[in-house]
Amino acid sequence: MKTHQGILAILLALALVAGLASSAGAAAVLADIENALMCKCDDKCGKVLINCTCSTADKTRAEYTKMLDSGLTVDQIINMQVDKYGETVLSSPTKSGFNLTAWAMPFVALLAGGFGISKIMESWKRKGAPEDQDTGDEEAPSKSAKYSSRIQEELDKIES
Amino acid sequence: MNDIGEFTLLIALAVALYGCAAYVMAVRGNRIDLYLSADKTPVIVWVCVVISSAALWRGFITNDFSLQYVWAYSNKELDTFYKLASFWGGQKGSLLFWTLILTTYMNVVYFQNRKKNIRLMPYAMAVMLVIIIFFLLLLNFSTNPFERIPLPPEDGRGLNPLLQNYWMVIHPPTLYLGYVGFTVPFAFAMAALISKNLDDGWIRLTKKWTLLAWFFLCMGNLFGASWAYVELGWGGYWAWDPVENAAFMPLLVATAFLHSIQIQEKKDMMKVWNMSLVLLTFVMTIFGTFITRSGLIQSVHTFDEATLGYYFLAFLAAIVIVCVYLILTRLPLLKSKNELDSLLSREASFLINNLMLLGIGFATFWGTIFPIISEAVRGVKITVGPPFYNQVNVPIGLVLLALIGIGPVIAWRRATWVNLKKNFQIPVIIGLVTAAVLFPIVPLGGRSEIFTYVTFILCAFVMASILREFLNGTRARMSLEEGGNFFGELGILTWRNKRRYGGYIVHIGMVLIFAGIAGSQSYSIHDQKHLKIGESLKLRDYTLTYEKLTVVEATSVKTRVIAQIGVYKNNKRVWTGRPEKEFYKGQNQPVTEVDVRSTIVEDIYIILADFSEDESATIKVYLNPMVSWLWTGGWVIAFGTMICMWPDRLEQRRRLDRMKKQEAIFAPAQE
Repeated sequence: MKTHQGILAILLALALVAGLASSAGAAAVLADIENALMCKCDDKCGKVLINCTCSTADKTRAEYTKMLDSGLTVDQIINMQVDKYGETVLSSPTKSGFNLTAWAMPFVALLAGGFGISKIMESWKRKGAPEDQDTGDEEAPSKSAKYSSRIQEELDKIES
Repeated sequence: MNDIGEFTLLIALAVALYGCAAYVMAVRGNRIDLYLSADKTPVIVWVCVVISSAALWRGFITNDFSLQYVWAYSNKELDTFYKLASFWGGQKGSLLFWTLILTTYMNVVYFQNRKKNIRLMPYAMAVMLVIIIFFLLLLNFSTNPFERIPLPPEDGRGLNPLLQNYWMVIHPPTLYLGYVGFTVPFAFAMAALISKNLDDGWIRLTKKWTLLAWFFLCMGNLFGASWAYVELGWGGYWAWDPVENAAFMPLLVATAFLHSIQIQEKKDMMKVWNMSLVLLTFVMTIFGTFITRSGLIQSVHTFDEATLGYYFLAFLAAIVIVCVYLILTRLPLLKSKNELDSLLSREASFLINNLMLLGIGFATFWGTIFPIISEAVRGVKITVGPPFYNQVNVPIGLVLLALIGIGPVIAWRRATWVNLKKNFQIPVIIGLVTAAVLFPIVPLGGRSEIFTYVTFILCAFVMASILREFLNGTRARMSLEEGGNFFGELGILTWRNKRRYGGYIVHIGMVLIFAGIAGSQSYSIHDQKHLKIGESLKLRDYTLTYEKLTVVEATSVKTRVIAQIGVYKNNKRVWTGRPEKEFYKGQNQPVTEVDVRSTIVEDIYIILADFSEDESATIKVYLNPMVSWLWTGGWVIAFGTMICMWPDRLEQRRRLDRMKKQEAIFAPAQE
């Protein structure tokens, strides 16, 4: 009986998640476009469409909703906007050509930094104490005794 | 009074020039008379800048539209509250405000240290005066806030309606207090480099200043996010705008410094690195100012008259050149012990923490300047917006989040597997349990949802790791102090180890912020509907009924249109929302004033998007989960930082003990 109740609960949870996902579907498609494109208002507000509240942004959203209803895909709509306004209408660089450097550079820098730090740490470690030096942890008579002595040490320092 | 304001700016410049020269000559020529004379200049400069600022404030309060700046950012109808804030509403006033804060900080430093740190003080004061001179030169000769209009108009143009929000009084000053505050550590670092006094003295002097500036910048960023959330009406709080990035980058570098400085204090390591981080933090603040005031990069925050780009670029270049030169020439003096016992140690984890913080900082910097690079290389101006930053920074941020849980509990010098197992067993188990509990509940369709899931797991892990530290420390105290109660001992533990446990509290705040960002970014839902009076909109388990539309003539220049929305949950009225649109005379776009009901679970965020003459209205509603976690995290950070900064005699005594021990240990190696 309990097993049946458990299965039922899991099924209900899955149904809830599936329901949430499907209701969010249509809005999510428009949101994909809104996230990918900038607002094109005359004030040059510099905001991504999804973040913009000006009247131009509202009209643009309505225009894209119509385009989606007419059967155009997200990619087709985005490409049409790029053809019309140029690359600047995109909210982030494309992942091709020179723009690829925008995406790659932070990770290249991170990798280079990581490599540099690992080399530095190794060189510092060579200067440091040998690896097999006893730190006392494994040799401690018991965990609680070791911990208590550490706390006692700290408290001594605090209260000295 | 305007003449006095203008004149005192000139006097301030002359005195600052004299003070700077006198400090340098006094030290170089060993002349005590010059030193005593120079020592009077910080106060005189401050008094002049205060008088000048008071004159400008007077212009705003008395509606003196003969001043071009007052005319441009105020009008007769403006509330006095906003008239005071209009001071920093435009470029000229904000530069004067910057100078006012900097001269105030300089005087606090002066009175704190004039009798204590004679070796560093003259140079530190000279460096601060150089920076003040730069700002005073701009104020006197390029962007004078006391510029007159020959035939003063009857009324002013008014403050941008978007800026007429109470956050305008709080956010910019907080941000400036942070931005300008980094000048103090920079000045002492430069003083140490110039005077070649490169022991830990400058760090002791500046650590609390760095923490103070970090705190203000952190709070300034959160206040800005809060302002964007309630004012801009798009349901979000952070847009990765270049100017937001400019305030974020120094914060990251300063955070890296605040961590790595502990290694220098404990183990006398990484002197070059820490020096570089302090200098870089200040460079980043000037870079941020350059972005805001150059007009080179498109931003919603850029000042209308962003014409000072070249001056700031030149200043930035000069600072970078001087910093690099000084570090290179002082390298032998910055030699550290630099020994690492193990790759599995707190020192190593702090290094990785630094790498991640600077990684996010670099990605943000790179994204901010890439449009300029693209235009220079390809002739095509592109946009680098939120999708870029989210895709690049989120994975790095997750590693950083994990390190918040790992770093503080891993042992100094060397952690053993036994030690790791003991410290991490419970947090890892809690992380895994969280993963198992959340797996069937949260959607995992896209990359963003997976990142959110991982964020929640890491938040649980980090929180467990921090709480375990509090719990173990308190239990140990209780076992030693007979009859002590848990909360009493917890308080004593925190109070007697302010830096350590204050830091943990800051980390708890960060965990709340991470969780808040993840929840609100991934699970926010919204809907929009055009409604007639009495009609409803359903969003998940809420029903929102549009009840009425009211028009209020608030002032002769402002009209408010307010929609009343009844919010029901399970047929029970839970709230009445009143979003509005405000129309200002002479402004094309109305201003959106959203209404938000915030709970620990979610925010109901209602926008009056549009309305018609027949009183029908377009209502947009967001359900933003966990946004309040973000603001709560901010207050937890504020609380933790206050504990860290609280004067601590015991800590000073411990530091002296440590220094004595270090001297004993390192003395032979240094010979």
